[in-house]
Amino acid sequence: MYRYDEFDAAFVAGRGAQFADQVNRRLSGELSEDQFRPLRLMNGLYLQLHAYMLRIAVPYGTLSSRQLRKLAHIARTYDRGYGHFTTRQNIQFNWPKLKDVPAILAELASVEMHSIQTSGNCIRNTTTDQFAGAAADEIIDPRPVAEIIRQWSSLHPEFTYLPRKFKIAMTGSPNDRAAIRFHDIGLQAAVNAAGETGWEVWVGGGLGRTPMIGKLINSFVPNEHLLAYLESIMRVYNRYGRRDNKYKARIKILVHEEGLETIKGQVEAEFAEIRGGILTLPSEEVDRITTYFAPPAFTDQAGSKVDVAYQSIIDPAYGRWLDNNLNAHREPGYASVTISLKPVGGAPGDATDVQMDVVADLAERYSFDELRVTHEQNLVLPHVAVADLRTVYDALVAAGLADGNAGMITDIICCPGLDFCALANARSIPIAQEITHKFAAPERQAEIGDLKIKISGCINACGHHHVGHIGILGVEKKGGELYQITLGGDASEQASVGKIIGPGFEADAVPDAIEKLVDTYIAKRHSVDETFIQAYRRLGEAPFKEALYGTA
Amino acid sequence: MEQPKQVQVPAGHDKLRALGILALNGMFDEMDAVGVLRQAAADVLPGDLAVVSSFGADSAVLLHLVAQVDPSLPVYFLETGKHFQETLDYVETLKQHLGLLNVHAIHPNQADLARFDPAGTLWETDPDSCCHIRKTEPLEPITELYGGWVTGRKRFQTRERGVLPHFELTSDDRIKVNPLAYFHDSDVNQYKIDHGLPEHPLFAKGYKSIGCAPCTSVVAEGEDPRAGRWRGLDKKECGIHFDFNGAIASPMMAAKRHTLWKDGTFIADPFHDWTDESEPATARYQHVPLPVFLAHREAFLANPHPLGLLVAPGESVEDVADDLERFSSIAIKFPGFADGRGYSTARLVSQRYQYANEIRAVGDVLQDQIPLMRRCGFNALVVTHEPTRAALIENRLPEVAIFYQPVGTAEVPIGTRPFLRRAS
Repeated sequence: MYRYDEFDAAFVAGRGAQFADQVNRRLSGELSEDQFRPLRLMNGLYLQLHAYMLRIAVPYGTLSSRQLRKLAHIARTYDRGYGHFTTRQNIQFNWPKLKDVPAILAELASVEMHSIQTSGNCIRNTTTDQFAGAAADEIIDPRPVAEIIRQWSSLHPEFTYLPRKFKIAMTGSPNDRAAIRFHDIGLQAAVNAAGETGWEVWVGGGLGRTPMIGKLINSFVPNEHLLAYLESIMRVYNRYGRRDNKYKARIKILVHEEGLETIKGQVEAEFAEIRGGILTLPSEEVDRITTYFAPPAFTDQAGSKVDVAYQSIIDPAYGRWLDNNLNAHREPGYASVTISLKPVGGAPGDATDVQMDVVADLAERYSFDELRVTHEQNLVLPHVAVADLRTVYDALVAAGLADGNAGMITDIICCPGLDFCALANARSIPIAQEITHKFAAPERQAEIGDLKIKISGCINACGHHHVGHIGILGVEKKGGELYQITLGGDASEQASVGKIIGPGFEADAVPDAIEKLVDTYIAKRHSVDETFIQAYRRLGEAPFKEALYGTA
Repeated sequence: MEQPKQVQVPAGHDKLRALGILALNGMFDEMDAVGVLRQAAADVLPGDLAVVSSFGADSAVLLHLVAQVDPSLPVYFLETGKHFQETLDYVETLKQHLGLLNVHAIHPNQADLARFDPAGTLWETDPDSCCHIRKTEPLEPITELYGGWVTGRKRFQTRERGVLPHFELTSDDRIKVNPLAYFHDSDVNQYKIDHGLPEHPLFAKGYKSIGCAPCTSVVAEGEDPRAGRWRGLDKKECGIHFDFNGAIASPMMAAKRHTLWKDGTFIADPFHDWTDESEPATARYQHVPLPVFLAHREAFLANPHPLGLLVAPGESVEDVADDLERFSSIAIKFPGFADGRGYSTARLVSQRYQYANEIRAVGDVLQDQIPLMRRCGFNALVVTHEPTRAALIENRLPEVAIFYQPVGTAEVPIGTRPFLRRAS
């Protein structure tokens, strides 16, 4: 993975000192909260319902064991013993004290981490496929370019006060695990007619109160011109994006209102001016960064196999884990392991300091010191030898991290909701907890198969409810909390936005409603191979609507 | 060459002080030079007033006044190291003749000379810098010691000095006293005759205004007496009397605090806002809003005066790309610090259109945004936010000094962009 050189270290240290000065000016009263807000946000520090919340960047979701141990240490020392992994592959701490923040940032800097641009109206952490560099279906590893984008976008002087936040996601695989069509810019690895690799550029996707699927603005931008092309988009957005209404300020609205062709014309005109200029990326630089992401020293494991069917009989829990939590690795005899942070009744994405230490140890010993955070709020050990799977599993069992539910109905994406968040209208974690209780039985989950439930506590859609096969949105109605259900969302390459199925439900009625939807699916599916989303696409909303509300 | 700290005056005093200056100017007959000086030395700035004299062709008159009012008044002479020997002799002559008790020579900083003018020929290539290190810089720490100083400037000397009052309030809140403001050439000569003052040895040889030897020449009959100074150059003042751009400090305006930060210091702003009364054909030193410029483009292009351009967010600087060179300053508006459109505008102006004059940020300019502004091409700032002013003056901007991405059009130094770094 990427290692800081002296320049990176000096940069992060400089930024830490800058923010420490800003914190001190806030504490002394020289800065008003109004003036401090954009500064702290640029450093990932939010003011939430009960306390400050510090969001720490995990660039493209990649961590080393040393870094995760540091996060565990921060959770223990400065917080309440846990951290929350987010849908943007970051981690956030919910209870730091303002006066401690400079010290936390110094701790982070010591392990090459920071909180730069994890909030604020700037270019946020670039996210990518959690199996990057490991997945069998990958065309190119997106991490080197993600790192280059991280560097280019860090404290960019022109794009630090954009109309609104800006998120870039990229995938090097045709199977999109990074939801790139729901980002301000999505980059999909592509190969042109000449056999060169580059990027398809999608623009104007997003969730929030106005979900939009990104539109293809350029079908092939080679690596050397990618930064110039991104800067062209950013400049058009910075100049013309709406600033009169924060709910209409994302680039998706600009693209929607002006039309893709207009925006494309402006971007191409800008690109024509700066293409070939100072942002031209030498292939030597791409190569240099790529060396940081060289594959680890895999050993010959081709002979090792695990018989999942057999294991399922003698140890069903282990069998389920093997079945659901492994992803095919490009290297024979290896697998990528998803560590579920979705135990039944737990808060999705939370991990304790002890759990983080355990995972760090496992990464160090069994995954070439590498770890990933997924946008579905789980952790990944990307390179585990098949021969080590049982050992890893046993250690996870001891740490309470061995749920074999990745991609299942209980693997719920969920925002912090009204329990923590100042924006939320409704609680979301308790809803997730109730649903996981309802579907706790492993046999029941296996029967249901792939089904993504995503829950947001408000219209800002941090829980990605628009792209849940079943989405749940908490709204406030007449002083109470009400939950709207959407069906048919999909964050993958077959991107679609879920549709509201009908009137909302009270909190305690939500698990039953989900159960009715699930039962309808099971009753109507062609076979066990037809997933929920496939069945929904074939059947339409009618049978599901009828199940929930009776015949119209 | 460090800039002096700007003195900050509580706002409440400004108007009273300015009014006081106006009143002082009305108290004296135009020719009552000794009355002006006595008032200044005894009542306005007792113990806090000094004289700066060039010991040039006309200096004897002012120094004679000093001798009458108070021979112990401090008199400073800028010993630039480039004076005629006759001038140095004349210093001694006048000291003796007038009985001046407190004459001091001010010398340039030797380190500055060694660094900027090692061969002693800077006057040839860059007379402004020569004046700066030999006159302006050495004088500054001295002026800081006093609340005011006396000059021998006169209205008739140059067109620019034609509005000179007896008392000026300068932009650093000091008082300049000009007892001879209303003296004409003939008044000076008559005064010298009436009081039997010794003549500068070079005066009889045709030198009417005498400064440093290399930059002083003989003046022909009928010429402006200062025409012999920096002959052939568009230069009329050495810099010690500048308020801004050679203008005389106005008693009322000068009391205002400076808000324009440029070249490391707050300076007087020659520009003012465009108003409804402003005329495209005759306006000067105003920032013309971009739409107004486009509406009256021909008139503005025919206008000979210095003008600036004001670009607000949402306005398209592309529309005036061909006319940018017409402006001596471009002001880019930040209505709120969170509105980042001005950064793009600045990069277009400075990088795409290669505009090389002043690009100033106006509006909500705060210290935490200034480093970004500079990188985008801003070279001047209009700052009213008090902590930001203090941070600029004390040179403690919260800045990350190294950066990843290149933003210029040319190469940037190695170490400041990732793709020039070497793998270690």
